Amino acid sequence: MRRLRLLDISLASVTTLVYLALYLPILLVFVLSFFSMRRGRVNWETFSLGWYAKLFDNEALGDALRNSLLVGGTAVAAAAVFATVAALHVNARPSSRSARILEYVIFLPFLLPPIITGLSLLIYFRETGIPRGIATIIVGHAVFVLAIIYRIVLTRLNVLSRSLVEAAHDLGASKFQTFRYIVLPNLRMPLLTAGILAFALSFDETMITLFLTGTDATLPVRLYAMMRVGFTPEINALITLILGFSIVLTVAVAFAWRRNAGLENNSATRI
Amino acid sequence: MAKPDTGGPDSESGLPLLRIRGLGVSFGPVDAISPLDLDVHDGEFLTILGPSGSGKTTLLRAIAGFQPPSAGRIEFDGRDIADLPINRRPFNTVFQDYALFPHMTVRENVGFGLRVRGTARRQMTERVDIALGIVGLEELDSRYPAQLSGGQQQRTALARAMICEPRLILLDEPLAALDATLRRQMQNFLKSVQRQSGITFLFVTHDQSEAITMSDRICVMRTGNIEQIGTPRELYYRPKSRFVAAFFGASNIVEPCRIEESRDDMTVVSTPVGTFSVKGPPPENTSGLALAIRPEAFGSDAETRMNSLEFEVAAVSFVGSETITELRHRNTSLMFTMKSRSDPAARPPETGSFLRVGFDPAECALVTGAES
Ligand SMILES: Nc1ncnc2c1ncn2[C@@H]1O[C@H](COP(=O)(O)OP(=O)(O)O)[C@@H](O)[C@H]1O
Ligand SMILES: [Mg+2]
Repeated sequence: MRRLRLLDISLASVTTLVYLALYLPILLVFVLSFFSMRRGRVNWETFSLGWYAKLFDNEALGDALRNSLLVGGTAVAAAAVFATVAALHVNARPSSRSARILEYVIFLPFLLPPIITGLSLLIYFRETGIPRGIATIIVGHAVFVLAIIYRIVLTRLNVLSRSLVEAAHDLGASKFQTFRYIVLPNLRMPLLTAGILAFALSFDETMITLFLTGTDATLPVRLYAMMRVGFTPEINALITLILGFSIVLTVAVAFAWRRNAGLENNSATRI
Repeated sequence: MAKPDTGGPDSESGLPLLRIRGLGVSFGPVDAISPLDLDVHDGEFLTILGPSGSGKTTLLRAIAGFQPPSAGRIEFDGRDIADLPINRRPFNTVFQDYALFPHMTVRENVGFGLRVRGTARRQMTERVDIALGIVGLEELDSRYPAQLSGGQQQRTALARAMICEPRLILLDEPLAALDATLRRQMQNFLKSVQRQSGITFLFVTHDQSEAITMSDRICVMRTGNIEQIGTPRELYYRPKSRFVAAFFGASNIVEPCRIEESRDDMTVVSTPVGTFSVKGPPPENTSGLALAIRPEAFGSDAETRMNSLEFEVAAVSFVGSETITELRHRNTSLMFTMKSRSDPAARPPETGSFLRVGFDPAECALVTGAES
């Protein structure tokens, strides 16, 4: 009994330590975005939203953030469409030659070191005379996140009982109606999850972007550049905002999944 | 083949609703279905019965259009449907796993067939209401499949298959997932829906008692071949092969068997355990001929029966309503099984005692074919 309690206590302390190590720096950033520090201590009397105001005045960071959102959104949307089409094809004819080739083509950029992907794309764009800029970054990110979206969608398609599709045909649905009414609704959740995951990947992707960027930097590239001249404290405000956004997103996805789980948890429609 | 009295409407021309000729399905080198012929009549309840792996699902999938046949033709109402895509075939399927759409309510599931045909909303609501009424799910129309019991899912699948008023419904082991009590309820329910709607049912099961209680006709399949087609009584009392005899519980097989004479509607055969009269003409092909006797055919009132045998009682087991007696033939030591209704007043025979039993010519059959 006592040994058990000792174990409990030590387990709890280790857990606490791990969480502290993980979250203390984040907490510090959060605090520092509102308060200033003097001689290594937080001065609690100095609450202000000044750094946030500064952040919004910082055009370089603002532009970088906007570029990141634009790149992430466009690349994920493009990759999602392509990944879904590819997954539908592979799911329909898993043993065909085209399916196998497609799998390799999609996974290669994800498995290659980003430096290789970035360099290859750079050489390609230079040889074809395409100027570097937002568009080339979007292409690079789309190629990079394709695999993750493709994998998640394909996994869902594989689980989606074949008899559901057959049942729809049997009841008179055309191929398009079957896709529209049966397949697509079942892909909504996986696409949402994959999209958010891919967006997160794109948001902090640096290596490929470094090769493909022209004058427009994304946020990580801009931060990387700022590191050389030293950070100004509005960086704390930026990180806090991104953190808040991530938390909201995570909670939203968790809720969506839970609501969906009730419908999915149907053993009778799975084989 | 005698046309069954199906209670439903039948085409006066005598043309079957579904006419299958030489249909074969192969997966690579494996023949899942060897070329076979089958007629399904309008309004009948026809059951495909066979053990697992005998090709029942494959046959149904070929008819529904999911599995392209490798040979033969399927005619519906006299028209070849080879080129008719699945979604234009005038029949619907109830899948073994129900295949209800998980993201749609019961109402949406049932109405799906109408929705994809562009039926007007009001008419759709009306027809779904009627279908839900038939299967008794009016109250549950806004539930999702995951919120239904197995029986309710089953009813939803049936309503969904019936909504477009198909001439034929294909059902692949629809009751296999239900427990025994519910299963019996659903057997009666399915049968009554079929009788009242007049829709032809092509029903698949591996359970012979289910087939017997529900069907107008039964088609027994074995390794991709049709073994025998007939009414439940025909298959039960007049099996043509050892396989069918064993499947329907005619477990006493006596061989070899030689035909001594046959006249009128009676055949006399000699076997190692005696000479017996069997109802019916002898089979045309007599290779592997054997005599199959139902265990419940034996009665101890041997004097009143046409055939009789002398046994030694090897074992007696009481299994409730029935008593099963293992019998050893006196001269040959061949083993037989007798099933009789348990009689609370009578003392069961002693093990080792001698027993003379008889059986009627109508309760045994001449069967052919290899061991099952
Ligand atoms: N898609 C398939 N590929 C290869 N063999 C199959 C396939 N479907 C069925 N079979 C084979 O065909 C035979 C009949 O199967 P099936 O029709 O499912 O039998 P049942 O429904 O009577 O249990 C089995 O031997 C099975 O292994
Ligand atoms: Mg089957």
